[in-house]
Amino acid sequence: MSFLAPLLLFALPLAALPVIIHLIHLHRRRTIEWAAMMFLLAAQQMNRGYSRLRQMLILALRVLAVLGLILLVARPLAGGWLGLTGGAPDTVLVLLDRSASMEQQNLATGESKRSSAVKKIAQGIEDMFGSRTKVVLIDSATNEPTLIDNPKALVDLPATQATDTTADLPAMMQSALDFITVNQLGRTDVWMASDLRQADWNATSGRWEAMRAAFAKLEAVRFHLIAYPQTTEDNIAVQVDRVARRETSDKAELMLDLRLTRHSTQPQPVEVPLQVVVNGTRSTLKVMLNENELVLQGQAVPIDKTVKRGWGRIELPADSNLRDNVFDFVFDQPSMPLTVIVSDDPDVIDPIRAVVSSPIEPGRKQQVAVLATSRASEIDWDKTALVIWQAALPQPDDILAKQLANNVSSGRSAIFLPPASNAGDGSAFGMKWGAWKNVAKVENVGALEWWRASDDLLANTRGGTALPVGELEVLRHCEISGDGSPLARLSTGELLMARAASEQSGGAWFCGTLPGSAHSSLARDGVVFYAMLQRALIAGAKTLGSAQLREASANVLTSNVAWKQADGSDKPVSPLVAGVLATEDRLIALNRPLREDATALVSDEGVKELFAGLQFRRIDDEVENENALANEIWRTFLILMAMALIGEAILCLPGKRDAQRVEAKREVMV
Amino acid sequence: MTSDRTFLDPAVLARLLPLPLHARHAMIGGVSGKHRSPIRGSSIEFAQYRKYVPGDDTRRLDWRMWGRSDRYYIKEFEADTNLRLCLITDASGSMKFGKEGATRLDFAKRIVGSLAYLAAEQGDAVGLWSMNATQKSEIPAKRGASHLGLVLDALAELQPKGETRIVESLHEAAEKIPQRALVVIVSDLFVQPADLKPALQHLMFRKHDVVVFHLLDQQEIDFEFDRPARFVDLEGGEPVLADPTDIARQYREAVRQYLMDMDDLVRTTGIDYHRVKIHEKYDDVLAKFLLGRTPKRGGR
Repeated sequence: MSFLAPLLLFALPLAALPVIIHLIHLHRRRTIEWAAMMFLLAAQQMNRGYSRLRQMLILALRVLAVLGLILLVARPLAGGWLGLTGGAPDTVLVLLDRSASMEQQNLATGESKRSSAVKKIAQGIEDMFGSRTKVVLIDSATNEPTLIDNPKALVDLPATQATDTTADLPAMMQSALDFITVNQLGRTDVWMASDLRQADWNATSGRWEAMRAAFAKLEAVRFHLIAYPQTTEDNIAVQVDRVARRETSDKAELMLDLRLTRHSTQPQPVEVPLQVVVNGTRSTLKVMLNENELVLQGQAVPIDKTVKRGWGRIELPADSNLRDNVFDFVFDQPSMPLTVIVSDDPDVIDPIRAVVSSPIEPGRKQQVAVLATSRASEIDWDKTALVIWQAALPQPDDILAKQLANNVSSGRSAIFLPPASNAGDGSAFGMKWGAWKNVAKVENVGALEWWRASDDLLANTRGGTALPVGELEVLRHCEISGDGSPLARLSTGELLMARAASEQSGGAWFCGTLPGSAHSSLARDGVVFYAMLQRALIAGAKTLGSAQLREASANVLTSNVAWKQADGSDKPVSPLVAGVLATEDRLIALNRPLREDATALVSDEGVKELFAGLQFRRIDDEVENENALANEIWRTFLILMAMALIGEAILCLPGKRDAQRVEAKREVMV
Repeated sequence: MTSDRTFLDPAVLARLLPLPLHARHAMIGGVSGKHRSPIRGSSIEFAQYRKYVPGDDTRRLDWRMWGRSDRYYIKEFEADTNLRLCLITDASGSMKFGKEGATRLDFAKRIVGSLAYLAAEQGDAVGLWSMNATQKSEIPAKRGASHLGLVLDALAELQPKGETRIVESLHEAAEKIPQRALVVIVSDLFVQPADLKPALQHLMFRKHDVVVFHLLDQQEIDFEFDRPARFVDLEGGEPVLADPTDIARQYREAVRQYLMDMDDLVRTTGIDYHRVKIHEKYDDVLAKFLLGRTPKRGGR
């Protein structure tokens, strides 16, 4: 607890005033000459205990009232019960969500959720603990602990500035857990600031349970979540789904697939002026947004025929989140994505080959290579956009495991299918195969009870239509274990499909069944299978070629290459911020991950469940709220003072006259 | 009368004079008077017949009885004598309680002075015992106007002071006062009834007719104060700081218990007890007292 007017605390000795006045009063009481002392002494003897207690209580309450008054005018600051219940913790871990969605701002002040949270946390730590505690920052962009010298420095620290990345809250929590465990910290407060986006929190991830159990063992750790769950209805986000250069005999143009989204409960038609910038040349395109989503497919933007390669940007007018108003893109001669199928099972190879041979863009060529498991080392990693691995998982120290990890790290895709017989004991990306299980016939109908339709491979279509995942039949499935993020579950609750949770630019998915008819209806029904493979391939293909569309993240840029801004500006190059970067022969467009546009939130109950059994406190804050986290708690002292005065008044009330007793006494006298 | 005798009000005395002061028991006096004596005498009041024994005065033989019964009977008559009125006045500091000019001692002086005057007027002997921690005055009971003046002067000079010594004084009086006297005690009796009881029983054992005027103030019973105060002991004890709102209930309970104990004491000792509040009119108190002692018709 601290005070806005600490000088007034010098008046604290005034709290002794009631005692002093009492002592003075003792000597200034009126004097009564009294004869019947024997009754007086007897009465005092009878009343000694209660009377003394009452006197002391009255004095204590008076002292308390004066104390309350002094503390009240000194304007105390405290962070709720934290400020009232104890001293400073040894360490404060600040877990800051720096994802793009945290840049939703108050239009009047320009304050974003992130900046507001940082300021309040910095001020709160300064007010409550001063320099008595060690502050460590773990930001969502790097997940690396950084020791902070001064809480106030948090505000200007580069590691607390805006990014276009996403956040992985479980990974941040894991980082915090590791830091606490490795450094054997004592009493630790973990302050988290986040907008509770489902995509960032990944509340269904199995990692939460393990971390909760680990934190539960650390009794001296307390969590404070500063939540910013508010969304705005006027915010419009733009993204480019596809960029293709098309050239005819007389002209060349860029074909853009654009998507505008907003999240309004009562959408009103609004004209949106789109600024299209291609190689520095700006043009405006006005579109009407009638509903919450507008998809513009094949939007043609003329370019010079000589321009074979370049970059561009779509911009929206400013609204409550500037980060989703811009989408950068690059274009070049399309690369030829390669899909490698590592399998020995023709029942698996054939349906996969049929799907991945289908072009992901009209006219774009692509390759498929099938390798027997014994020839897996022959994969041409440079050209591979998607690896479909139906073989035993390699051992972690195997060269193949490292190549797979590197491939996914560079933004490519990998889908793992279980071997039909012996799954082995290898692992990849923290995931392992278990035993095969037959699904009972009665359970077969509607075998998939839940799947993740908001994003990822099983997401709804662009038009919002759900994939027919629920109609799939699964006859056999292989258990999946590890810290993956579930994508689909069987009606028995078992995991059928998951995305590995490792920090990867690309995606590594594990599907617990095979497409053959002996295992599931994936190949027979086709739609779901086609969608998931195509999506994985498209995602992996984005990082092929010399012009790539990538999600901003800490490790998206190879470190041994000198990147610079494509527009020639001298802005510092950062893999965390959207923009177009270039080298001599490569272009890369960094954008926010598209899941940052999804406004689905973790429910209140969901948050409680995630922290069940831990010392957890949630503070719902708003960007518009200018009050510090360490609120002035003068009201508390006002109430305390009032209660003390009321208590004192009650104790000072004269006792009821016992009329009957007096009457009886008079009768005795007669 | 050389001292201030304002405690004697001629109007009150004139009102009370027709009411004789009677003793409840037979008195042994030195001279003839209005009071019954345990010794048979020569008054006109027939007492009893008694068988003649040799040596009796033959002049007292009832010859008529001899004529009727052929037996010798002596006819005895009551002896009338005077009484010794011993007035015991408490002069301790607590008797100072009350307003200026209307203290408990002032009230006591009026009672005692009036009784002394009334007794002297009917020819009885009057004595005065007063006591406190520092002073002690013992004036034996005697008859005569000059002795009454002495008693009244001593009464006028009484000053309340020091601790009460009522219990010791009563024991002392019981030993010193000759048997069969009317002993009137005027005090606030701020001692434990259990301590007082032996002293009163001592007086009763000496065949005294004991009368107690117990003087109390209504304020001492009600204890109605609203603010904390410093209570100074009139008898010189340690002052007490007290909040009446805290202890009033307990105080009243203590008073109630004390008065109940005093009632028990009165019942067990058979003394003539008068609880008097000092705001009452003393002449009414005395009138009630004297009327209460008037013998029933046909008796003495």
